[in-house]
Amino acid sequence: MSKEINRLHPISAIITSAKALKSLIFPLVVIIFSNGFHISFNFHSDNFWRTTFLFGIWGVGALLALVSGIVKWRTFVYWFEDGELRVKYGLFVKKKRYIPFDRIQSLNYNEGIFHRLLGLVKVQVETAGSKDRKPEVELTAIRKAAADVIEQEMRRAKNQVTEPMNDEQSEIEEVLVPTIYHMSIRDLFILAITSGGIGVVLSGIAAIVSQFSDIIPYEEIFNELAVFAKFGALLVALAVIVSLIVAWFVSFVITLINYYEYTVRIEDEKLIITKGLIEKKRITLPLNRIQAIRIVENPVRQLFGFATVVVESAGGNGGEGNDKKITLFPLIQTQECLETLEQLFPDINWRPEFINSPKRARPFFYRIDFVWLIPIIGACSYFFYPYGLLSLLFIPLTIVIGIWQHKTAGYMIDGKQLTMKYRVFSRITLFMEKKRIQSIGTTQTYFQKRKNVMTVKATVMSGMTGMTGNVPSLEQQDAETILSWYEH
Amino acid sequence: MRAEPMHKISRKGLTVWRLYGVLQTLLLLIVAAFACYGTYYFEWPSFIYFIAVAVVILSAVLSTYLFPKIRWERWRYEVRDNEIEVQHGLFVVKRTLIPMVRVQHVDTTQGPILKKYGLGNISISTAATVHTIPALVMDEADGLRARISELARVAEDDV
Repeated sequence: MSKEINRLHPISAIITSAKALKSLIFPLVVIIFSNGFHISFNFHSDNFWRTTFLFGIWGVGALLALVSGIVKWRTFVYWFEDGELRVKYGLFVKKKRYIPFDRIQSLNYNEGIFHRLLGLVKVQVETAGSKDRKPEVELTAIRKAAADVIEQEMRRAKNQVTEPMNDEQSEIEEVLVPTIYHMSIRDLFILAITSGGIGVVLSGIAAIVSQFSDIIPYEEIFNELAVFAKFGALLVALAVIVSLIVAWFVSFVITLINYYEYTVRIEDEKLIITKGLIEKKRITLPLNRIQAIRIVENPVRQLFGFATVVVESAGGNGGEGNDKKITLFPLIQTQECLETLEQLFPDINWRPEFINSPKRARPFFYRIDFVWLIPIIGACSYFFYPYGLLSLLFIPLTIVIGIWQHKTAGYMIDGKQLTMKYRVFSRITLFMEKKRIQSIGTTQTYFQKRKNVMTVKATVMSGMTGMTGNVPSLEQQDAETILSWYEH
Repeated sequence: MRAEPMHKISRKGLTVWRLYGVLQTLLLLIVAAFACYGTYYFEWPSFIYFIAVAVVILSAVLSTYLFPKIRWERWRYEVRDNEIEVQHGLFVVKRTLIPMVRVQHVDTTQGPILKKYGLGNISISTAATVHTIPALVMDEADGLRARISELARVAEDDV
């Protein structure tokens, strides 16, 4: 074992400082705006002391951020010892963290623009216990070669441990091919066009707007809006449409950049996902941490025979931020998808034959919606009399969606595997192995009981919490079959 | 038809739930009293009186009599060697099956009211979910906790 001490690349000082400074930009903006630009460095001005004071505080903050970045870089060291990755940092409070290599779930690489110019990577080390969606260890910037060394060390340490029972592993490896999936430019465009990212962008804009609500004189804007509204609803509608198109276009571009060159490879029982145009990301996902696999087909994509494949994984978040689910194939032709998955997980039956929800259960799929729909329709029709009646159209729409959901709902048990199929709006097919299911439950309302149908829920682990699949209104007999199957 | 789980929860549990209902009603009564006073003082529309009275009466009937009764009748649990099964619900009957191998840990908790009646809640955690059996006799809850943790240890398996 090498006991060589490694440091981060000096650029990491800049990156860490920049990150800290970024969080200080907003206070600066607030300072400037909230003073209504009454800022003056002229000694004779009334505002001089105030300005100096505010900027002084801000300046101290910024200076601290800069220094902390440098300190972190100067004190941060990592090395390999006894089959562990050891990290030490801190100036006054020294922190040490030792992670055994065989506890490391994934090594994720991230290359921002800075990194790529200098041939560096950011490495995030994740274990099953990574808390608060943060990686256990983050090496802000190291040379690519150094990152490879970590991986080699890790592999070496693992091989030493697992050598006695190695034959099983190598057998599996032979079956698998290195590159599993590569998204073509055409698929990338389809993905970007059909991405539901509009909502995300809009909510992002809303979040930004609400951030500024103290600063921007909304009342004045609203007054102007009132004038604006007088120009006619047409203009407003036009503005809405234009902003929607802009939002869609932004989401289109973001998707293009994020998913550019999306590739999935398999190595050592691990899935390695690489993606990104400007910021390159590499996510590692051990196969044995996968709890369940979901095939999601939204109506538009279903129409063209495309699907999205999502894996639920325990522990580490795969660097995806706020979600523990990891998209395995963002967009794939359904047929191709099944073939690829068959290769990847040969133990699972990927072409299930479903037992569907019985015909008499159909009303349960839309009847409940009327409880909230009817008051809304009533209110709309009453308050906006002629046009409000259009809300009546929701009734057939709800029924159609309900019937569609009913048609989709189904399950299959095959050996040690439970497959659920259901639809909220997108069709979801959830593949689970019995040993991964944490609990199964049924629910039955009074009305369902009269018709002898039951809703079945199965929960698997996903990240730190769970993910629940939910097939509504199956034949009671079938629901009980699932429970008995799960019992033994 | 699948048989219901065997055990019901303690009769004292029903009393405790009724007590909770009484407390909730008292709280509502205070709020309603304020509302009525406000209505009288500020001359708000008089239908507020009716709403306030109706809410209190409804709460009294539902949360101290009807709901605890239904819930208590419905609550059932059974701890077998390989799994735990619970059934509960008010309008919707929920049944859950938790295999022993999935159990990560078991907790018992006891608040002041439960303590007075010698009762305790038991929470069973899996990697993804938490299931609570409320208002068990404390000895029984402790026994159950010991038993579950023992059974769960025997049925060791990977997550």
